[in-house]
Amino acid sequence: MKIIAQIWTVMVMNIRSLPQRLWMSLAAVLAVAVVIFVLLAFLAMANGFNQTLSGTGSEDIAIVTRDGSQSELNSVISRDGVNIISTAEGIAKDKNGNPIYSAELYVVVDGIKRTTGTEVNIPLRGISSSGVSLRDQVTIIEGRMFESGKNELMIGSSALREFSGFELGREVTFGKTKWKVVGVFSTGGSVFESEVWADARTVQTQFRRGSSFQTMRMRLANTGDITALEKLIEADPRLNFNVETEAKYYAEQGNALSGIVIFGWAVSIVMGAGALAGALNTMFTSVSARTTEIATLRAIGFSNTSAFMGTLFESVVLSLIGGIAGTTLAFAALDGLSASTLSAGFTQVVFTFELSPDLFATGIKLALAIGFIGGFFPAWRAARMPVVKAFG
Amino acid sequence: MSETLFDLKNVRKYFTRGAEEIHVFDGLNLEIEKGDFVAIMGPSGSGKTTLLNMLGGVDQPTDGEISFSGDRIDNLSEGALANWRATNIGFIFQFYNLMPMLSAARNVELPLLLTNLSAKQRKENVATALELVDLADRTTHKPREMSGGQQQRVAIARAIVSDPKMLLCDEPTGDLDRETADEILSMLQLLNRDFGKTIVMVTHDPLAAKYAKRILHLDKGNFISEEVD
Amino acid sequence: MGDLYLVFKNLTRKKMRLALTLFATFIAFMIFGTISAFQSALDSGVELSADDRLITVNKINFTQPLPIAYYNRVRTVDGIVEVTHLNWFGGYYQDPKNFLPMMAVNENTFLKVYNELVLTDEEEAAWKGNRQGLIVGENAARQYGWKKGDRIPINSNIFSQKDGTTSWDFTIEAVYTGEQEQTDTSGLYFHYKYFNETQSFGGNYIGWMGVRTADPARNGEVIKAIDDMFVNSPFETETVPEKAFNQAFLAQIGNLGLILSSVIFAAFFIILVIVGNSMILAIRERTSEIAVLKTIGFKSGRIFAMVLSESIFLALMGGGLGLLASFGLIELFNGSGVAQLPTLVLKPHIIMQSLMFMLLLGGITGIFPAITAQRLNIISALSRH
Repeated sequence: MKIIAQIWTVMVMNIRSLPQRLWMSLAAVLAVAVVIFVLLAFLAMANGFNQTLSGTGSEDIAIVTRDGSQSELNSVISRDGVNIISTAEGIAKDKNGNPIYSAELYVVVDGIKRTTGTEVNIPLRGISSSGVSLRDQVTIIEGRMFESGKNELMIGSSALREFSGFELGREVTFGKTKWKVVGVFSTGGSVFESEVWADARTVQTQFRRGSSFQTMRMRLANTGDITALEKLIEADPRLNFNVETEAKYYAEQGNALSGIVIFGWAVSIVMGAGALAGALNTMFTSVSARTTEIATLRAIGFSNTSAFMGTLFESVVLSLIGGIAGTTLAFAALDGLSASTLSAGFTQVVFTFELSPDLFATGIKLALAIGFIGGFFPAWRAARMPVVKAFG
Repeated sequence: MSETLFDLKNVRKYFTRGAEEIHVFDGLNLEIEKGDFVAIMGPSGSGKTTLLNMLGGVDQPTDGEISFSGDRIDNLSEGALANWRATNIGFIFQFYNLMPMLSAARNVELPLLLTNLSAKQRKENVATALELVDLADRTTHKPREMSGGQQQRVAIARAIVSDPKMLLCDEPTGDLDRETADEILSMLQLLNRDFGKTIVMVTHDPLAAKYAKRILHLDKGNFISEEVD
Repeated sequence: MGDLYLVFKNLTRKKMRLALTLFATFIAFMIFGTISAFQSALDSGVELSADDRLITVNKINFTQPLPIAYYNRVRTVDGIVEVTHLNWFGGYYQDPKNFLPMMAVNENTFLKVYNELVLTDEEEAAWKGNRQGLIVGENAARQYGWKKGDRIPINSNIFSQKDGTTSWDFTIEAVYTGEQEQTDTSGLYFHYKYFNETQSFGGNYIGWMGVRTADPARNGEVIKAIDDMFVNSPFETETVPEKAFNQAFLAQIGNLGLILSSVIFAAFFIILVIVGNSMILAIRERTSEIAVLKTIGFKSGRIFAMVLSESIFLALMGGGLGLLASFGLIELFNGSGVAQLPTLVLKPHIIMQSLMFMLLLGGITGIFPAITAQRLNIISALSRH
């Protein structure tokens, strides 16, 4: 217990003397805060993107694409292909005994990004009412659903927020055809909210797709079980397709920003090294400013452990303050920030920065690491301070 | 034959501390002749250091005149005073005030950076000054590698290297033991006697003051007595 | 000994602090140099785009096709030197991860429009003469270890052959280089005919056209002539200068410029705080020494200059080292062959900018300590003992 009392005394002494080194301590705190902020900015961006995509996929839905196509845009499935696949076991049936599936088209059209005023790729999905029912939580916020056979569009609320050109009631021209925006829908923050939807058959006609589709989605009879579908595709050489659960399909796309995460970490660690230099500077100065105090305590009989721990504690506390400031600032400034980027599907995905508790913990851990290393060496010096310095 | 170097007429020096106005000097008159060696003694707060600072042109009187060789210095600009100090005054401090990162020779050379001397001349002058204070063998040593007495001798060399007329010493032996102090004081005496340097020395130490030609006792801003050697 | 010697001695008196401060500056300029090189590589597609080149795409979106017939019609437009057409192939080599920027082009006109790709006349003739001929940029060739004469299979993630396979065979007829260091040499180009005749989807469509005009000043007129030609057709076109097209495409990814600039700004901010603080501390510790210099007769202006040059010297040293390190990093990165980016180059303007920032950093961190030192009152400074 004695040693703890000693450490406590030194800690209190150090913290009390902080105001004397106010600016220098603030500088160290600020440097740590900026590093944590930068790290969290990157992580929150990647996290938000990932959440949007992985939140889209359902384990109850399977998605079929042409083998090797890698994205809906590159895929193609003929009417025949759709018909054969729809006979597979493992697809849930409706009350009339018909398989529940949706054959869809995916074409890219131009929209204008509001923040930059530049043209961006917006996905126009040709879909039917069964396709709409395959997505959970589809709600019409404004206007109405498009009617089949008509040149009508509805736009996802995220897309409407980020891009102009598809406001409700507006007429849009694709080639020679005119389309009218009749509704705005929400899907609870999933990728589909970044899309524009229209009747599949109309899209086939207007974009000269004949009777072909691009992807097929179906409700699975058993959650996550696609083996029957896989067997069917494997058995028939005409079926050059790939099947996976929607959850897996989007989870893969959600990792598209993993490069950003690596870049974010690299930059933060390099900058963290810079901040570490600041922390070391502060702590070495703190130790040398308290030379007499430390040596006096040692002369009285305090152990060198208490001198060590006291200094280390000061550094860790300073860094922790910086870490908390950085995460708080990141939360205030970034959480919920809307952004969009070009996804693996070659179209814009709208997402929001998202700071999860995990990311907070990561930020605080990095701050603590800086504080620990930044305090360790100065603390070592403090612990080895000769007692005679007290009488110098 | 006597020539007045410093002439202080009716010098007043007031400080304000909070609401209170402190009158350090209230009409002080003093003449210091060329070649003199004056020791100024007095208790703390008697104005010794303030007087020394005013003589050295680092502090200015609230009122009154200070002349050096007949020219007023109390109304000079900061820049002009710096020039004046560089040519006429050598300072010696209680704590030596050497630059810790410079060698003895470099420390002594500092005032010569303010002259137009060539590097070679500077080097010669530095060598002469260091020889005079008996440190020719310590030129490359850093201050922390030398004893207090040696450091103070480097400081003396620094004070005399540009050959000023006047040496101002603030407690030059205040931080030294008796024996070393005597060495330093003898050196000052020698500079006064053989090289004609005029010296004003502030000190607490009556034994140190004995080395001077005259001793002024200062109390509450007035000379209360004067002893002549 | 001169003032610079004093500055240097002051700077180096506390080795640990000097090392830490230098390190912080080093980090900032390493980040600055490296990220600026990245940024300039990203921008090079925009910067190096030819002023006399236009891109004609489907007005709906550039991923939508145009009929091949448009090619010959556009060639008749006044003010045009040459036109070529391109199709995105969606190529990859062996593994879908090894994605290739590969285009099926009109082999007769392609090199006349994209004349920044350098190959010999013999190579050009060989490529034109071989239906399965492929030209490969040196960046791509380095990445996959290809050389002239190699026969390689390449897959498409969009198209398939009539027999259902997605693999095409090619012979590399040339490894082209770029006219300039940052010219993008990651692209692969092959004959449109080979593509059109073998792929199984509806043929006779092209992706977009590259148009070289006689004079950039006539771009506006040419743009109008092309787009007016196809107005009210099922395939309306949108013709834009190449620079604008590249800019818009880069903007699709996101505001990369803002992200990178923010990182640089954050790094500089940290370093400003650390170095500034360190300078203030250094001058505070030297209060009595500065007072002594003043007492001896050093003028305030001279002391001001000495302190300021100390901080500038510090910034130049740390910054110079950092810039050197970023140079090393960039070379390392260029040699690694992982980048889908043009060659990273520390351009003169980046070096000039760094020097300016070093002076600025030195100035800002030194100015307040310098003013403190300049204004330092001798009496109060010396009486602190």
